[in-house]
Amino acid sequence: MMLMSDLLRMSFHNLLLHKVRSILTSLGVIFGVGSVIAMLAISEGAKRSALAQIESMGIDKILLFSKQPSRIGVSEGSTNASVVESYGLTTRDLTHIGKMDNVSSITGLFNSRKKVLKGLQRTDLQLVGCDFGFLENSPAKIESGRWFSKTDFTKENMVCVIGKNVKRTLFPIGSTNIVGGTVRVEDYVFRVVGILDNPYNSQYQGIGGQNDMILIPMPTARACFKSYTFTKEARMFQITKIDYDVLLVQVNDTTYIDNTAKRIAGYLNNVHGQTKDWDIVVPLELLKQQEQTQNIFTIVMGSIAGISLIVGGIGIMNIMLASVFERRKEIGTRRALGAQKADILMQFLIETVFLTTMGGVLGIALGVGIAKIITYYSAMPTVYAWWSVVLSLVISCVVGIIFGTYPAWQAAQQNPITVLRSE
Amino acid sequence: MDNIVELKQIFKTYITGELQVPVLKGIDAEVERGEFVGFIGSSGSGKSTLLNILGMLDVPTSGEYRLENIEVSRLSDYEQSEIRNRKIGFIFQSFNLFPHLTIEQNIEVPMIYARVSARKRRQRALELARQVGLGHRLGHRPTQLSGGECQRVAIARALSNNPAFILADEPTGNLDEKTSDEIMKLFHRLNDDDGVTIVMVTHNPSLGPHYDKIIRLRDGRIDPTPFEWERIPS
Repeated sequence: MMLMSDLLRMSFHNLLLHKVRSILTSLGVIFGVGSVIAMLAISEGAKRSALAQIESMGIDKILLFSKQPSRIGVSEGSTNASVVESYGLTTRDLTHIGKMDNVSSITGLFNSRKKVLKGLQRTDLQLVGCDFGFLENSPAKIESGRWFSKTDFTKENMVCVIGKNVKRTLFPIGSTNIVGGTVRVEDYVFRVVGILDNPYNSQYQGIGGQNDMILIPMPTARACFKSYTFTKEARMFQITKIDYDVLLVQVNDTTYIDNTAKRIAGYLNNVHGQTKDWDIVVPLELLKQQEQTQNIFTIVMGSIAGISLIVGGIGIMNIMLASVFERRKEIGTRRALGAQKADILMQFLIETVFLTTMGGVLGIALGVGIAKIITYYSAMPTVYAWWSVVLSLVISCVVGIIFGTYPAWQAAQQNPITVLRSE
Repeated sequence: MDNIVELKQIFKTYITGELQVPVLKGIDAEVERGEFVGFIGSSGSGKSTLLNILGMLDVPTSGEYRLENIEVSRLSDYEQSEIRNRKIGFIFQSFNLFPHLTIEQNIEVPMIYARVSARKRRQRALELARQVGLGHRLGHRPTQLSGGECQRVAIARALSNNPAFILADEPTGNLDEKTSDEIMKLFHRLNDDDGVTIVMVTHNPSLGPHYDKIIRLRDGRIDPTPFEWERIPS
C-alpha cells in the first residue's frame, strides 16, 4: 500500500478541491457535534450549580434540624386556646453529640420566629441566635464590620451581624453607616456590628438562606426570648419551646461521615423516642445522589444529541456514495496505474474521516458558541468539560470510519474495465 | 529469445445469463523486448478484451499469459496491482490525466503507488517531462495543455516506473493528424533510442507502417494473412 503521508496529502487535496461541497457534506456532523457539546455544557453547568448548592451546606458536615412532629396524639394542654408544645433538638443533644468521636465541633442556630418588619410590611428576614463558632462553620465571609466578640456572648450584648440581603431590605440603597446602625425587631433594638456575605446563600431548613438572617449571640437570644417562641395562627395562640432549630456538626474525617451520622441518628432515636421531631441531612450523601441523577441526565441529553450525529453520518455516507459514482473514471485510472484495492479504500475512507473530523472541530466551535449564547441570554451556567471536547472529536472520527467504510468499499470494488470503457 | 509478453491459447468467454459469448478464441502471440508491436483489429474483433487481458484488468477464461516469464493471469488482486504498477505503462485514448493535479503530480501518480519517496519522484518527473519535451510546463494543469501535450504527459506517466512495456490503447484516437504524427514520432524515439517495448492496440490500419510487428485480430482470432501496406491509400 502507498505511503501514509501520500495518502493523507492526497485525501486532503481532494477535499480542498471541493471546499463548498466538503463543508456542506460535513454540516450534519457540525450540527451534531455542536448540539452534543452544547447539551453537555448545559447539563454540566446545571450539575455544577446544583452541586455547588449542596456543597455550600458543607460536605464535611452533618446537619440536624428540629421538626414539628405530627400532631396526632400530642396534646399536652387541655384547651386549644393555648398549647405549649415542646419539641426538637435540645441543649443536651448538642453537648452529647459534641463529645462523639469524629465530631470536631458543633454549633447551633435558634430561630426566634419574630416578625421582622420594614415599616409596617412583613419581610422574609429571620432573627436568629447563633453560637460563637458559627462563622467558622459556614462559607460566609465578613463583608464589612466584624464578627461577634467573646464579650458580646458573655455580656449578652444587644448586637447583631446581618446578612447582605438584610442590608438591602432594611437599609436604603447607598447607606454608608450601616455598621454601627441599629435593627429593631419588636421591642428589641440591636446594634449592627458586621455584615456577612454568603456567596452560596446556604439554605437551612426551617430558617432559610443565610443572607436573610439577622444573627445575634445565642446568650442574647436566650435572655430575650428564653427558648420559647410565640406564634399566632388563626385564632390559636401557640407557644413553642425549642432549644435549637439547626445543629451543624463538623466532622474530622469525611470517610466515616456515614458512620458518624448513623451514630447520631441512633442516639437521637434513643433520646427522643417515638416522637420524630428531628431530621438529619448529610450533604455529602445528597451530593453523591445528585451527582448520579445529573450523570443520568447528562447521558440522556448527550444521547439525544448523538442521534443528530448519526443523521449527519448517514448524510455523509450518501454523498460519499454519489462521489464514488462520479469519480469512477478516476478510480479506474488509478487502478490501471497500479493502485491496489486497499489504496482506493483507504483514500476514500480517509477522505470521509477528514470530513467528519473537520466537522467535529467546527462543531465544537459551534457548540461552544451556542452554550455562550444560552448563558448570555438565560443566565443558565454552562461548563465545557475537556472530556466532552475529546469525546466529540473521537466520536466524529468514529462516525467517519463507520459511515465511510461502505462507500470506500464500494469504491475499491469498482471494476476498472467497465469504468475505463465508459467514456 | 527475450520475450516480454507471451500469450498461449488465450480464450475469453463472457457469460451473460444463459448466453455464452466467446470473444477470444485461442490467441497466441509474443512480444520481444524492444519491439514495437501493433495489435490491429476492427471493432468487435476482441481487441478491447485482449487489451484488458494484456493490461491485467481482466483475466482470460483459459490460456496462459506470461509477463517476463511469470504466469500472471492467476495472481491475486494485490499481486496484479503490483505488476500493473511496475511492469505495465498504461496510455489511454482519452489520456485519463487527473485534471486537478499539476503535470508533475500527474507523472508522479504511479510512483506514489510504488512507494517512491517524494524527492525521488520530483527528480524522476522532471527527467521524464524533459524527455517528452514538457520540461517547462511541470506546474501547469492538464486543462491548460493541448491534446498532444496531454498525451505526452500520459506517456511520461507511463514511463515513470520503468515498466517492462508500454500498453497504449488507441493513443492517437483523440488527436488530429499532425499531432498524431508527433506522438507516433515520440513513440518511435522512445523505442529506438531508449529501447522501450511498446504494445499498441488500435483499429486504425493507417498506423501499420509504424510497427515492427503487426498482429491482426479478426473475430477473436489472429488473422495470419500478411498485412497489405499497398492497399492503403496515402
